[in-house]
Amino acid sequence: MADITVARVSALAGYYNPGQYGAVESGVVIREVSDLNLWQLAAWPETLSAAAENLATASGVGSVPGFGCATGTESLALLRIEPLKFWVYGVSASSNGSDESVVLDLSHSRTQLRITGEYATTLLNGYLPVDLRDAAFPVNSVASTAFHHVGVTLWRSPAGYELFMPRGFALSLWELLQESALQYGLVIE
Amino acid sequence: MTSHAKRLSQGGLIDRSKPINFRWDNGKVSGYQGDTLASALMASGESILGRSFKYHRPRGVMSAGVEESGALVTVGVSHRRDPNVKATTQEIYNGLAAFGQNAWPSVRRDLGAVNGLFSRFFAAGFYYKTFMGIPPMEWGKKGTGIWMQYEKLIRRAAGMGKASRLADPDSYEHGHLFCDVLVVGSGPAGLAAAVSCAKAGLDVIVVEQDFEAGGDYLNQSSTDAATKRTQAIEALKSAGARVMTRTTAFGLYDYGVAGLLERVTDHIGDPDPHLPRQRFITLRAKHTIIATGALERHIAFGNNDVPGVMTAHAANAYLNRFAVLPGQNIRVATNNDSAYGVALNLAKAGADVKVMDARTDIPDSVSGLLDTKGVELYTGVSVLEAKGSRAVSGFQSAKAAGDGWQVGDHHNCDLLLVSGGWSPVVNLLSHRGVRPGWDADNCCFVPSPTTEAIQVAGSALGVWGTGDCEDSGRAAATAAIESIKTGTISFANGPAAGGWETPIKPLYEVRVEGQSQKSFIDPQHDVTADDVRLAHQEGFVSVEHLKRYTTLGMATDQGKMGNIIGMALMAEALGKEIPEVGTTTFRPPYTPISLGALTGRGSGAHFKPLRRTPLHEWNLENGATMVDAGLWQRPWYFAREGETITEAYIREATTTRETVGLCDVTSLGKIAIQGPDATEFINRVYSNAFAKLPIGKARYGIMLRDDGIVMDDGTTWRFSETDYFMTTTTAHAAKVMVWLEELLQTRWSNLRVHVTSVSEQWAGVAVAGPESRATLQACLADATVITNEALPFMGVLETTLKNGVPCRIARISFSGEMAYEVYVESDYANSLMDLLHAHALDANGCLYGTEALGALRIEKGHVTGVELDGRTTIDDAGLGKMASETKSYIGSALRKRPEMMKEDRPRLVGIFPKDRSEKFKAGSILCAEDKVEGHGEGWITAVTHSPALGHWIGLGYISGGSASWSGKTVVAADPVRTGNVEVEIVSPHMVDPTGERMHG
Repeated sequence: MADITVARVSALAGYYNPGQYGAVESGVVIREVSDLNLWQLAAWPETLSAAAENLATASGVGSVPGFGCATGTESLALLRIEPLKFWVYGVSASSNGSDESVVLDLSHSRTQLRITGEYATTLLNGYLPVDLRDAAFPVNSVASTAFHHVGVTLWRSPAGYELFMPRGFALSLWELLQESALQYGLVIE
Repeated sequence: MTSHAKRLSQGGLIDRSKPINFRWDNGKVSGYQGDTLASALMASGESILGRSFKYHRPRGVMSAGVEESGALVTVGVSHRRDPNVKATTQEIYNGLAAFGQNAWPSVRRDLGAVNGLFSRFFAAGFYYKTFMGIPPMEWGKKGTGIWMQYEKLIRRAAGMGKASRLADPDSYEHGHLFCDVLVVGSGPAGLAAAVSCAKAGLDVIVVEQDFEAGGDYLNQSSTDAATKRTQAIEALKSAGARVMTRTTAFGLYDYGVAGLLERVTDHIGDPDPHLPRQRFITLRAKHTIIATGALERHIAFGNNDVPGVMTAHAANAYLNRFAVLPGQNIRVATNNDSAYGVALNLAKAGADVKVMDARTDIPDSVSGLLDTKGVELYTGVSVLEAKGSRAVSGFQSAKAAGDGWQVGDHHNCDLLLVSGGWSPVVNLLSHRGVRPGWDADNCCFVPSPTTEAIQVAGSALGVWGTGDCEDSGRAAATAAIESIKTGTISFANGPAAGGWETPIKPLYEVRVEGQSQKSFIDPQHDVTADDVRLAHQEGFVSVEHLKRYTTLGMATDQGKMGNIIGMALMAEALGKEIPEVGTTTFRPPYTPISLGALTGRGSGAHFKPLRRTPLHEWNLENGATMVDAGLWQRPWYFAREGETITEAYIREATTTRETVGLCDVTSLGKIAIQGPDATEFINRVYSNAFAKLPIGKARYGIMLRDDGIVMDDGTTWRFSETDYFMTTTTAHAAKVMVWLEELLQTRWSNLRVHVTSVSEQWAGVAVAGPESRATLQACLADATVITNEALPFMGVLETTLKNGVPCRIARISFSGEMAYEVYVESDYANSLMDLLHAHALDANGCLYGTEALGALRIEKGHVTGVELDGRTTIDDAGLGKMASETKSYIGSALRKRPEMMKEDRPRLVGIFPKDRSEKFKAGSILCAEDKVEGHGEGWITAVTHSPALGHWIGLGYISGGSASWSGKTVVAADPVRTGNVEVEIVSPHMVDPTGERMHG
């Protein structure tokens, strides 16, 4: 396959302008994680155990995470987004299916924002009906939830909240997030 | 008229170092930080703050809280004008502008007060009796017209202020909160409960509608109360509990959900523009403690609405919290012990105070307290009628006489305080469907037990003493902690309802037989005691009917002030006890909520989430005018300079048929279907055969619902033994995705298949027209992969563009031309379109939008969502031959019901105007020439000017299809728009019916 000679274009292109906005504090810091690498591996009840073992081995993690959780290494993360589905984040996976599982490239289907700062939780809870308190949603928790009627995935990584938005809705949701974040002081990195 | 109220030089919780200047009815007034509008106006000598709803009677401050029914004002100007704001809860701020409402020229002198002269005619049911059921109101349409004119006059004369008609400039937002324990109310019970829970390590949120936490502590004069309040708030802070002031818990819902309204900037004159005005918060708690307190009741007596008549405890609040002595010559009418402390406080502050207790047997321990401060006590006495028109100047007393009253002496006063008992605020529990029970000993409704994770504490439970309320709060906390710990419901073991030394005397109205007086029970809606009796006389004996006939409890206070008195009077009229009459069911919201808060940020451009294709900006940069297609934004047409939409789409469609056209089709639904059983799954879903679809091929498919009606259509591409790519219509993408998932999870869980939406992963472009192959070839790394032989009609493949970007190509056509759909991963969409567009221009091609797309597909008779509208069978759409007769699939049995197979069902047809120069519209009814009436014989779903045929054409359905109407004239009836047009019914395949162009 020939090398790709063009760059990927983000859904936020033209609307993502780094800087400080709103209130003088820096209560919320948002960074788009561009060139997302995201694959899905899905198994079936009778193949889950074998598929999970193979995935753990291939990923270099001790064991795959439970539902609603994530685990990872320095270079990748596994997110258990459904009981039978994993997201492999950060690396490319084989696109070949098998009797045991199927894999699917979703790298262009989502726009990823990393949200940190003192008011990151408050900002997200302005839209997401998820209990994000530390005890209920500790680091490496994953949730599928809704943001202004749009299905999104939230992962609390060691670096902050990772929000995966469907690409087509990303700009609309980005506008809402920015508007809400201004009251806390918004830094776009 | 000015009041005799005065600001005290010391005391209270106001900050005298922070004066606040504001406007009242265009006059300059000042107060202090910590004042409400009511306290500041009272301290400034204002007594008339409102005018009543019907009679325009002058009204002053009647309370000190959310139950206020007199001092309803309009706050703000222009687009920020907000009517019906309670002056008793509105904080003052520099720049505040408040106005009297429902009055002209002002609340002080209101010409509308002339209504009062005719008040005897304006009793309950006046409008029904006067304007309905009698001529001329019953003269059919004419009568309705006359009534509507009267209605305007009535609405102008009566009212509750006027909202701005300008757009709201403020922003609002939603939020979600979670906690272990929600405590509603921060009075003695609420704070005690919250502190206990927080100290037990629970995550606690306290919500308080006031701008200060403390509840009744704020109104008490003792330093002990202030200390307890401060210590409790500090304890909460150090335990990490959240205390939200200016926040109302307006409703309780299932599973511990509470609706909160946080007023963020309503108290700020020049707020940070980034702050929302209000937040609508959905809070989810494991346990809820309701400590909402109780509201003091009035007593119905003559002129009980005149300015200067207020509840006793309100006077206590103005004195102790706001440092306003609300009168000098004060009389207190009561039927319970709670007013005694108020009388003492007022006397201590220097007022001349006398107490009239309706009860006759007052123990020395109570009356002795009054003696110490020189407060005279009259027992067996109450108020028959207040005197004064614009402010109270005195009253006619009533003396107890057996079970009734007789006329007593005249007394002078400048402030008349009333305490008719207390009503626990049971509203939130009522929202949960828990009907309160009547406590005859305390003359109030008290909460009934609930098996939900809810505790009630303090005076909301009918517990009156401050110490008892604190104990009640702690008991509720113990029960909540235990419930959370064990996962079962525990019941609080706190003080019982009550706490007064002398029992309350049931007293709701004071009147003397034969003496006419206007005794208000719902001042907000001008409902009087006589209105209740009139309703009873006229047969409205149910509380629910009473409410609707008299409008008792239907104003903005929702019965906080008058419901109990209204029920008591109805019970008396019926000769029943109050609990036999029933109680009204309180419903959310507890206090009014602005529509803006309900909307949050979902307004304007964000009313719905916008969905943009990866080519959105590219389309705009290349001249697209966009159109909404569901949530998607799609290019509608690409007008050149000076072109109209019609000229543009005709040019685009013509160019596509002559050379090549490019269209962004990303919005089509795309679903990855993977797994060893994918073929079997698809074969069960589609009505036509898919079991033997070869790898590298696509097939058009129709899927039905269980009932045999068409659900959707699309193409499915096969890339491997286990890997399919299904496309759906834009409109039904989500519906199909959900349907497939449901089938796999509920019916065929044994199939090893996964479905995943990849609509966002892939961007798609249709390349259509005679030059489509050459155009696409010029963009590919290897042009030979799409020769006619390598990629015949319905062939699919994966290859790469010249720039190395991988792509998927299917040779399929919606336009009827030789055409391809090309998909690349979304982030590469622009690069695909850049390549295609450059080569399309070389071939004199163009971009086309949905308008041209529609024209091309109508010419071909291809169906979309408007034809597959949930009523159509596969035979109706003319695709019946595709349906397999040999396999079982979703809808295969029910599609053959006799009604579905009738020959005279409406069938898809093409439509030409008989006179080719005429046009007709979608939505027209198709009728037989000699029977243009009713629902006709069919309908038109879509129309366009056909560039290929040179005249207007349409698609639609007509009974029996085109064969039944061959040679017959049909009328396209459109009575409310274009009128009737004679049309011919033809085959739906109006251009290239054999598909020669499509197959290339």
